[in-house]
Formats: sequence, C-alpha cells, structure tokens
Amino acid sequence: MHPEDNLETLMALYQQGDFTAAAALIERISPQLHRFFAAQYGSRVDADDLLQDTWLRIHKVRHTYRPGEPALPWFYAIARHVRVDHYRKSMRNSAGEREMEAISRTTVATQPEFGRADNLDALLAPLSESQREIVAMLKVAGMSLEEVARATSSSVGAVKQKAHRAYEKLRKTMSTLALRKGESGLS
Amino acid sequence: MKNEEIDEILNKAARAPLDLEPALLERISGSIQSSLRPVRPLPPAWLMTCGLILICAVVSLGGAARAGFLGVEKMDLLERWLIFPVLGGLAWITGSGFVHEMIPGSRRRVSSGSLLALGCAALFTLFALLFRDYRIDHFFSIGIVCLITGFIHAVPAGLLCWLLLRRGFAVNPVSAGLIAGTLAGLAGVGVLELHCPNFQAVHILVWHTAVVPVSAAAGAFMGWLVRGCSRMRSAQANPD
Repeated sequence: MHPEDNLETLMALYQQGDFTAAAALIERISPQLHRFFAAQYGSRVDADDLLQDTWLRIHKVRHTYRPGEPALPWFYAIARHVRVDHYRKSMRNSAGEREMEAISRTTVATQPEFGRADNLDALLAPLSESQREIVAMLKVAGMSLEEVARATSSSVGAVKQKAHRAYEKLRKTMSTLALRKGESGLS
Repeated sequence: MKNEEIDEILNKAARAPLDLEPALLERISGSIQSSLRPVRPLPPAWLMTCGLILICAVVSLGGAARAGFLGVEKMDLLERWLIFPVLGGLAWITGSGFVHEMIPGSRRRVSSGSLLALGCAALFTLFALLFRDYRIDHFFSIGIVCLITGFIHAVPAGLLCWLLLRRGFAVNPVSAGLIAGTLAGLAGVGVLELHCPNFQAVHILVWHTAVVPVSAAAGAFMGWLVRGCSRMRSAQANPD
C-alpha cells in the first residue's frame, strides 16, 4: 500500500531501507522536481541531469530528514542546493561558453511562445531566478508559504514579497502580450 | 489582469502532463537500490543544541581553569548574574540556529548574519551598561592578547561543534560556518569573562566583543573552503 501513503510516511520507510517506499517516492516526487529544474533552465537535458544528481544527494543525506517534519521542504532544499551548485559550476565555464549561455537565456526569455498556457517554462521565463524558484514551488509543488520559506531558508515574509513581485512582473508581461494580440487582431 | 487569472494560467500550465522518461526513473531507482540500507535519523534538535552548549561550556570552563578565574572573582554579583546568563542565552539561540542550518528544509527564524549582529549588539550593550571605567591603559598590547586568547579557545569549540553535527547536511556551508563561528566566538568570550581581570570599558567593548565577529569570519571562511572541496570532489566524480 506504499504508493497511497503520504510523503512523510514514505520517507520514514525509506530511512528504514524499504525499497518499495523509495521507488514510490521517486515516482511521486520526480515529476515535480523535474518541472522545477526545467522551469529554471528550460533545458530537458539539464533537468534530467539535475534530477539524477538530486536523487543521489537525497539518498546520501536521507538520514537528515527528521520523521514528523514536512518532507517537501526537505526535498526542495536539497534540490535547490543541487541547482545552485550546478549554476555555479556553469558560471565557471569559459567566457565563450558563458556568452553562448547568455544568448540562449535571452532567447528563452523573449521566445514568442510566451503566454502559451501549456508551457510553464515559457511562462516563467521573464522572472528572475529566485522569483521563478518561488513560483515553481508554490504552483508546481503546491507548497504553502511556510514550506517554501523552509525550503529556501528564508522567512515567510521574504517569500511573500518575492511572490508578489513575481506576480507583478507576470501581470505586466501578460497584459502587454494581451494588448499586442488585441492590436494585431484589430489590424 | 487579476491575481486569480494569473493563478489560473499558472495552475493550468503546472497541471500539463510531463512526459518523464520511465528509463530515467528506473535508472534512479537502480542507483539507489544497490546501496539502500537502514539509516539512523538525526537526534532531536533540542538534544543537539544541548550538546553544542555543553561543548561551549566545557571549553570556556577548561580554558579559564587553565588560565585562572581572575575575571569572575573580581566581578560583583550583578555582573556575574547578568553576563553569564546572557552569554548562555545567546549560545542557546545561536546553537539552535546552527542545528537548523545543518538540517535541510528546517524552519529558520533568523538568518546567520542577523544572529551574528544580534550577538555582537547584545554583548556590546551589556558591557556598555555594566562597565564604567573609561581609562585606556595599554589598549592595543593587552587587547590583542585578549583577542588571541578568545580566538584560540573559539577554534577547538568550533571544531568540536562541527564534529558533533558532522552527520548533518548544510545546504549553505558558508552560512553554517558563519553561525558555527559565532557560537564558537561566544565560547571564546566566555573564557575571557571568566579569566580577564581588566574591567576597562573600552577594552571589554572592543577586544572581548571582537572575538565573536573574528571567529564568525573564520567559520565562514572554513565553510567556503568546505564548499569548494565538495564541489571539487563532485567534479572529479562526474567530469561532465
């Protein structure tokens, strides 16, 4: 009956060496972690790599989860750590590679399909990295403000402020896009 | 555009099915299965905090016992009843912060930088209120000795605290190092308060308080080194 158990129970069983619980966790958490990474990088290959790295890290430090505590912030705190590590590693690349990355990021941010309701990565592209992270946790993982604060090692107030700013930016971009669509429809 | 409309668009996008390759999930399961063994979860946070406080108390008392309890003997009752409980309270808050720093996804009420600022401000205020001798005799020569004495005792306190929490996992080693250094610095101040008989206000305000930020900086530097080493190890393990 493992797949129906909640994450906290599965995590406790995983700590006891139960492979069925570990497999159930992988099946339940991986899609949202993958989407979390994809929303940050917009690259499927990067998201695949980061997901694997995250699970290796989770496995290595699984004893740091304390039974009874919410499991999602624990998963996301580790995922975030892996993402930051990956980001810093990519920052150390050669100047040429960095330029290429900047170009590709600009392309992602200004891609014409922004606003397509089925593409979360494109929707979040205009946001800063920290804002994207917060919105992805709130919307993709369905975490509460308190859980996001735990995962990002910050206060609930700081999370609220970032989410508010992200929504302001999204509102501005979406309104501009809707206006443009309206104008092109008129002409 | 209202927040509810943005919510709706984001929710719709988040609900869109994601075709995650089953082979990827199998690979992850396979890599975990080979090394899956029962593990012992970390002890409760309060127990680890008690351990940290005990380490700091032992280092402070041990250091003062070696150098002499000249400071505490010279203090009046009010000074004794204010300085040591305040030091203990600060050590408890900082120790608890350090424990939470070593547990991913743990609730954090105050950042490590704020804890450092709080510790320094509290000590500075307390010393300013208690000590009124404003002479400055041998300010640098005696002061440097106190700073070094405090720091020398902060180093073993910090290392022992790190050793106690070695099973934890710091998602931000620099922040964890900063808070560990702050805690160790408080142990160093403990040694100085027990030992140093120089009650000149400026001496205590500057040199005793300075032990905390100096050891916090050393801790943050150690955290930075640890982060660099772990990245180097992971780069060697995974060259791509």
